[in-house]
Amino acid sequence: MSAVPLPAYLMLALILFCIGLFGALTKRNAVIVLISIELMLNAVNINLVAFAKYSLNPGLTGQIFSLFTITVAAAEAAVGLAILIALYRNRKTVNVDEMDTMKR
Amino acid sequence: MDLDTLLSFKWSVMAPEFIILGVATLLSVIDLFMKKESSRTPLAWLAGAGVIGALAAIFMQLDTEVTSILFDTYRLDSFSKAFKILLLLGTLLVLVLASNDKKEDVEENRGEFYYLLLAALLGAMMMASSADLITLFVGLELLSLSSYIMAGLERQNKRSNESAFKYVVSGGIATAITLFGMSYVFGLTGETNLFLIAQTMQDPELLKHSFLLMFAFLITFAGLTFKIAAAPLHMWAPDVYEGAPVPVTAFLSVVSKTAGFVILLRFIIITFIAAPGIDSESLLLEVQPYVMALAAATMIIGNVTALRQRNIKRMFAYSSIAQAGYILVPFVSNSSLLFELIWFYLLAYLFMNIGAFTIIQVLSVQEKSNDISIFRGLFKRSPWLAVPMTFFLLSLAGIPITAGFVGKFGIFMGALGLEPAHYWLAAVMMATTLVSYVYYFNVIAVMFFRDSERTRVSVPRGMAAVLAFCAVSTILLGIMPDLALDFFYGNFDINEFFMNIEAVDTHTHDH
Repeated sequence: MSAVPLPAYLMLALILFCIGLFGALTKRNAVIVLISIELMLNAVNINLVAFAKYSLNPGLTGQIFSLFTITVAAAEAAVGLAILIALYRNRKTVNVDEMDTMKR
Repeated sequence: MDLDTLLSFKWSVMAPEFIILGVATLLSVIDLFMKKESSRTPLAWLAGAGVIGALAAIFMQLDTEVTSILFDTYRLDSFSKAFKILLLLGTLLVLVLASNDKKEDVEENRGEFYYLLLAALLGAMMMASSADLITLFVGLELLSLSSYIMAGLERQNKRSNESAFKYVVSGGIATAITLFGMSYVFGLTGETNLFLIAQTMQDPELLKHSFLLMFAFLITFAGLTFKIAAAPLHMWAPDVYEGAPVPVTAFLSVVSKTAGFVILLRFIIITFIAAPGIDSESLLLEVQPYVMALAAATMIIGNVTALRQRNIKRMFAYSSIAQAGYILVPFVSNSSLLFELIWFYLLAYLFMNIGAFTIIQVLSVQEKSNDISIFRGLFKRSPWLAVPMTFFLLSLAGIPITAGFVGKFGIFMGALGLEPAHYWLAAVMMATTLVSYVYYFNVIAVMFFRDSERTRVSVPRGMAAVLAFCAVSTILLGIMPDLALDFFYGNFDINEFFMNIEAVDTHTHDH
């Protein structure tokens, strides 16, 4: 079975990370912003798992690290959505542009 | 891992963490069974007792040698002890500051605050003791997730909601950036243990990938500066500080920032100390200009933007950004005095900032406003608030006979005493300090020279105790800084920080 080379994985992760960063910084819907952050975190997982198998010094710890990353990402999404719901109850909006009550 | 391995660990070194974890769990259970209307103040006292217990446990550990347990993921050394004392002391003061405000409203006085605070503290303490990427990351996230919720704890308050959401989004992005960098560090070395990474970094094979290594450093460093609110990732701080409840703001600006410096020191210095640069032997020397520019930008942005703030919490947010810039200065130099300077400054910063936030809390609860005008005529109304506030502001500005001056002077001389001396960085520090006089002295002028028809302010007893303690410490450390420094030198040997890599490498960090 021919193996996909490591740079291909890294490039995929980098592209995914950049899409996520772009989305998190430009999208106006708060839910999309949270999903974009998940995209960035998943790019990290691809990196970790690819490195764990194909890097100079392959090691299982990369896969374990990615398990921790997945768990923490889930916790972060839960907290983010809970805060968004609290915000929505008071403001009736999920538009990021309208969250600007604190300006100098 | 079987039972024998589990039992063979020296669990007693984790005593402070176990105490905090136990108390936090206990609090969440008690809170569950308490009546909805009853006051949550007893929880605060229990939490305080837990923090004091953990502090006592650390003081009993002062003689312990370097110990690492759990397959070298957890490490007790001088560095972790020294910074855990700061974290615990800061949390204790925040707890007293939070427990005493007279909140009639049950919605406002929620039990969650106390155990979230302890959970955040636990994350910070784990970070101080971690020697592994995974535990470091989990500790960081425990601190971050608890802080996000704490910032939004006033559910009915639109500003609190908004600040929590901004915090969670910017924090999530920063976490992802940090992790992305960490994944490259792992990929290049194949290890997650910090000391093993440091050893692998000396592998000649890595020289071929020095560009990738530089990329990994820059992206991780950028992500980690989020927690200390250094430029360019500082934009969250003003909004979050303004919207969050005052005790949470105090926690974020003191304990969370200390934890940010802890992870910076732990991760960046151990991992990259022996790393090769692109053109030279040392990566850390090569990135010095970048970190210097970052420190300078942080000082300039923080101090200049603070000038035009009318909201006192926003002003303190920019002030704390500027202070992070000062503390980054010794980080640039990477000298042997690095730990002492940062530790002392963070200690001084803890007292002066929590002291100032106590007074802000008292006034903002009474006046129901955060405008700078709440300080009008404070000297005539309540001289016992105005005088300590003056001390704190003078200390933040760095005027002699205060702790802030001693810390800043040490950092300043450290930047000049290096080979080569960083003249322009010292100059930026000097100039921005002068700028900061304007907004700190403005508050003092408002307190002393403006009249106000407002009534005098009553201070709850616990807060008065925090105030007195912070004010006395600020002055005492300003007159006799040796008190703290002798304690530091007497109990902590910072060489322990490098213990495991010393055998492999003795020249790179020995300057």
